Amino acid sequence: MHLRHRLTPAVFLAGLLCCAAHVRAEEPLPKAEEILDKFVEATGGKAAYQKVHNEKATGTFEFVGKGVKGTMVHYRAEPNKMYMRVELENIGAMENGTDGETAWTLSALQGPHIAQGEERAFALREAMLRAPLEWRKVYKNAETAGVVDVNGQACYKVVLTPNEGKPETQYYDKKSNLLVKMSMTVVSQMGEIPTDTTVSDYKEQSGLLSPRKSHHTVLGQEFEITISQIEYNIDMPKDRFDLPAEIKALATK
Amino acid sequence: MRSLRLIAIVLAFAAFAGAQPALTAEQKRLNLESFEFIWSTIRDQNWDPTFGGVNWTAVHDEFRPRIERATTMPETRSLMGQMLGRLGKSHFAIIPADIYGDLGSHEEAGGSATAGLDVRVLESRAIVTSVEEDSPAAAHGVHPGWEILNIDGKELAPRLEKVAELYHGMTTRELYMARTVLAKLAGEEGSLARVEFRDGSGARVSKEIERIHPQGSLAKFGYLPPSYVWIKSRKLAGDLGYVAFNLFLDPARLMPQFGDAVHSWAQCAGIVIDLRGNPGGLGIMAMGMAGWFIDKPDQKLGTMYTRQAPVKFAVNPRPPVYRGALAILVDASSASTSEVFAGGMKDLGRARIFGTRTAGAALPSAIDLLPNGDALQHALADYISEGGRTLEGVGVIPDVEVKLTREALLAGRDAVLEAAIEWIRTRK
Repeated sequence: MHLRHRLTPAVFLAGLLCCAAHVRAEEPLPKAEEILDKFVEATGGKAAYQKVHNEKATGTFEFVGKGVKGTMVHYRAEPNKMYMRVELENIGAMENGTDGETAWTLSALQGPHIAQGEERAFALREAMLRAPLEWRKVYKNAETAGVVDVNGQACYKVVLTPNEGKPETQYYDKKSNLLVKMSMTVVSQMGEIPTDTTVSDYKEQSGLLSPRKSHHTVLGQEFEITISQIEYNIDMPKDRFDLPAEIKALATK
Repeated sequence: MRSLRLIAIVLAFAAFAGAQPALTAEQKRLNLESFEFIWSTIRDQNWDPTFGGVNWTAVHDEFRPRIERATTMPETRSLMGQMLGRLGKSHFAIIPADIYGDLGSHEEAGGSATAGLDVRVLESRAIVTSVEEDSPAAAHGVHPGWEILNIDGKELAPRLEKVAELYHGMTTRELYMARTVLAKLAGEEGSLARVEFRDGSGARVSKEIERIHPQGSLAKFGYLPPSYVWIKSRKLAGDLGYVAFNLFLDPARLMPQFGDAVHSWAQCAGIVIDLRGNPGGLGIMAMGMAGWFIDKPDQKLGTMYTRQAPVKFAVNPRPPVYRGALAILVDASSASTSEVFAGGMKDLGRARIFGTRTAGAALPSAIDLLPNGDALQHALADYISEGGRTLEGVGVIPDVEVKLTREALLAGRDAVLEAAIEWIRTRK
């Protein structure tokens, strides 16, 4: 369930590694809908997803080979509320979130920012708790674009076109039906930044499989997130997704 | 982004290295691995795939055998530095492991204690521009405007001539000359710097100045060498705010202090931000600081151009935004993030710049760990300020050029600050 980690602040330091995938020999391709449905089944099934009303993930964050590390905590609640806090050593906290309407980022480094347009749409998609079940709400089209090799695994390449924003490409392992990679353009106030993310180390929690490691390449830089714990249906603080005071001040300005 | 202090440190290391032990077979192997890492990183990540016309493959073929033949670490680092030098850009450097290492080893190896003096090279002469309050130097009566002639028995002039010649025609020349003097003044805490000055009367005077702990708090970020970071703010006569800081680092401490200072001056007629001598640091801090002065949304200081995509240095307004007059002071030792900040604020029409042209060393960079334990600093992108001008090799040109002079410093005057204050007081 915890498939993506919206780390816009990291875009500043990061980069893209091109996917050197190639299309294999012609073969009948399943529809994208089937691939996405199989992913739901492979990770626990529709019923398991529907039992989840919120989640909390904690983990670590590291820029590979840069000596920069930190911790992260990520909350989501239905339908599309999200709050993330990354604490980087010697840098401080970087937060972002949405109450389902207003999508924002905040840090001592950059100050408060409210996302608009495509950036907001992207943030709201990222915040969807049951995105694997409810993708039709935010994507107007999904197509299977072929079979490609991702790190030695034969994968279906699925291109999803959102209602608002740039197409995103996802790669699903033919054998396990699990998502292994995503390529997308992160829209932020700093620009449109191409990113690649590979996910791995799926583990089961409360009947749902989710990846515990993700490796991101952005602007030639790499960072990794390791999820140490995922909790579902926690006693979520009522104000968890409230807008921070700095964002409220900006919103009412 | 990274402070140019690193480059100065590396240059100093290469210049003053003494006898070194021969490399073991394992060290040689790791050095070769590091060489290939450096070469391929730049091949794959340099924003300009043409490398400014440099044949990067030929550079590899030229330097690989030389690295293979190198017998000491300083020689190896020097060769790697020469290879990076072929690109002719700032922010490419090899950082020795004992420089970026942990805090304790840095204190022992780096000799980061200072003589309590700041120095600029004015018309080829090393001139004291400030003396730290309550420092041994101040107790010895050292005064701004004094010329430094000799440090620890070595005349400065020949060394400065060499540096000037090496950087002839480059905007970084004065920066490196000043760094050369400061590096010679630095040393172990408690040690004595034997300095010969020419005082205000023109007489040669010798002082033994005890080196003291640097001002500020030690800050670390990734594989950057740990650095002491300070910020000073005060209210000036005439209802003006003044803030200076030596590096764009330690944001968890610096940003709130900077923001609090700006907010405390909300009703002031003007604010002066003094970036003279500030060699830069984290580029993202420039964006954050700009937000306290820019009310309009969707503004940016400039754009960095990576091989993959352009990245905007976006500014987020941070209400309550200060709307009064803003003056930024710069000089030839203002580099990197200082230039991004000053250049962007100038281009946005939000600040008036006073002083002399900046260092023109403003490329965003990253630092990677090498297999041999050293680190590689490499520029990732070109940077174009909001006004459409590149800063690399050009620098920020002040709106009002004001040069420091020995005579004014001896008279206790800071002509650059005075010009900024005068502008704030007289502007309509």
